[in-house]
Amino acid sequence: MNKQEMKFTGSKTYVASEELMTAVDVAMALEKPLLIKGEPGTGKTMLAEAISDALGKKLYIWNIKSTTKAQDGLYVYDTIQRLYDSQFGEEGVDDIARYIKLGKLGEAFKDEEQVILLIDEIDKADLEFPNDLLWELDKMEFYIHETKETIRAKHRPIVIITSNAEKELPDAFLRRCIFHYISFPERDEMDEIVRVHFENLDENLLKYAMDTFYWIRSIKEVRKKPSTSELIDWLQALMLGGIDPETIGEKIPYLGVLVKKDEDLEIVKKRRI
Amino acid sequence: MFTDFFYVLKEKGLSVSMTEWITFMEALNKNLADSSLDRLYYLGRMILVKTESDFDKYDLAFMEYFKNIKHQDEVPAEIMKFLDKEGMEPDRQNIELYSYEQKRDMNETKRVFRERVTEQNTEHNGGNYWIGTSGGSAFGHTGRNKGGIRVGGKSGMRSAFQVNGERKYVDFRHDKTLDIRQFQVAFRKLRQFSSRIDAAKTELDLDKTIDSTCNNGGYLQLEFEKPRKNTVKLLLLFDCGGTMYPFMELCNSLFQAVYKANHFKDVKTYYFHNCIYSKLYKTAECEYGDWVDMEEIFRMTDKDYKVIIVGDAQMAPEELFDVNGNYRGPNDGKSGYEWNQIFSKKYKKIIWLNPRRHQGLSSSLAWMEAEDTLAQIYNMYPLTVDGLKEGITKLMAPK
Repeated sequence: MNKQEMKFTGSKTYVASEELMTAVDVAMALEKPLLIKGEPGTGKTMLAEAISDALGKKLYIWNIKSTTKAQDGLYVYDTIQRLYDSQFGEEGVDDIARYIKLGKLGEAFKDEEQVILLIDEIDKADLEFPNDLLWELDKMEFYIHETKETIRAKHRPIVIITSNAEKELPDAFLRRCIFHYISFPERDEMDEIVRVHFENLDENLLKYAMDTFYWIRSIKEVRKKPSTSELIDWLQALMLGGIDPETIGEKIPYLGVLVKKDEDLEIVKKRRI
Repeated sequence: MFTDFFYVLKEKGLSVSMTEWITFMEALNKNLADSSLDRLYYLGRMILVKTESDFDKYDLAFMEYFKNIKHQDEVPAEIMKFLDKEGMEPDRQNIELYSYEQKRDMNETKRVFRERVTEQNTEHNGGNYWIGTSGGSAFGHTGRNKGGIRVGGKSGMRSAFQVNGERKYVDFRHDKTLDIRQFQVAFRKLRQFSSRIDAAKTELDLDKTIDSTCNNGGYLQLEFEKPRKNTVKLLLLFDCGGTMYPFMELCNSLFQAVYKANHFKDVKTYYFHNCIYSKLYKTAECEYGDWVDMEEIFRMTDKDYKVIIVGDAQMAPEELFDVNGNYRGPNDGKSGYEWNQIFSKKYKKIIWLNPRRHQGLSSSLAWMEAEDTLAQIYNMYPLTVDGLKEGITKLMAPK
């Protein structure tokens, strides 16, 4: 595939800053995982989908939870199924390979084409989790002990990793990544993002809604600041509700969509009066 | 290439590893910077810096290292890209209408500009010919010429210098006083260290047992694991009122962060005014009589409680050293100094977080005496992200 085709320029539903596009290009050129960090709702997860769309490549998503272990992404040896089968004298019990199930990382390695692998919210897992994946992400291979088989990536996947900064990631892991921080969109960027989501947006409505949105974000005491996804939900609600744009600033209808915490609601209401 | 830059980065306190530096060199060899200073700036940052709290340090280093770069080294590619860019209609029009005294088409302007860039090797301010500032030529900025090509300056291209000149990541710096989210992240560390506790393997590990049994050919083989509970118990003491007023919001954030963390086995909070004496207050208002005896607190907590004291340690020397130094309540026959000694001996791990920590100031200053004395009794850290992290490491460190 030539260089021109491999360039990421954002997609129809995703507005990428130039900085971010550079980061994606660099990560692909250097064959390093791209680590994306940023406030919730700044579109970290959507980025992988956008890249997959733009490059026309298949996307594998590995969602990380607090209980996820590195091994889960490689393969799982289903011992229970094997025990079960053996009790009923199923055929092929002695064939361990039948009980090896590949995880998302394994699947991405085995794919015939180059794919995109999203490791979503890596900071949710145990602190040692990223370190356990170092070898696999470096060498793009792993070894299945039970079958003495090595799974090697046919085409090096483009790896995208997101983090909400809940936990610090280990240095050894960070050294191997390309890092990009998505800062909260400025108003003009936000304008663009919103327009991607709505086709016919009333200019007046948008203006008043944005004024209010950035005003709430600017209140220092508000603990959980509304994010992009909340703004989009709110705009949707405002449109469906047929709200008169002029009254948005005063009444802030459907405030609960933007601000979720009771204390924060109190603060916003108090400030408004 | 740029080896000195590596040392400038180190000097600014960035820990750039060899791996990262080599990756950076590889990127340059692959021409990923595209001979553009802007891209070089981002390229370096995304490879060498792995947390947004260090962006500011990087900005400073970049500015220092690249400030002396000569204009013609970097402008041409940038400018040409700028001119070639689609959707620049207004500027194009300007160039056509105003550039260089007479009407001129864009290609001509570009040609002249190219010529200038190759000819020019000094800085120019004023004048009608060169690329420079405050002049009448079509190139540069803050000039009389209404159109032409702007090189640097405000609202022109977003040059790397402008980007880092703004220091827009200064808010993310760790040594700045912190907000609740950052507190929370820091407090997670208190769990991090305690998740693998020092205990016997007492819990049956079902998954491992099944694996082992299967591997054992069906003969049962039991596997045990350590319980993974958080055993951290916290005792929080806040200094309230007086000199602590300016830090009320900060203390409140810390308090909120502790309570939201809810991963501690137990949290107890008490308050004091200026100095710890024989009683601790139940509320932040520190009202007379609304208190608990120190003896009672010692009974309710064991020595394994991790203690965090938050206060600025500002008080008159007699408040600390006089047996009648407590002007708001009883002393019970001991000076504040003695009470602090007793308190500090009760618990294994205590840290003091000071929002007003003065380091390196002479203790001969009267108002420093109390702080100095307390800093000798307790491990005292500034109330910042770095300070809290350091303190928490201390709390979790084995004896």
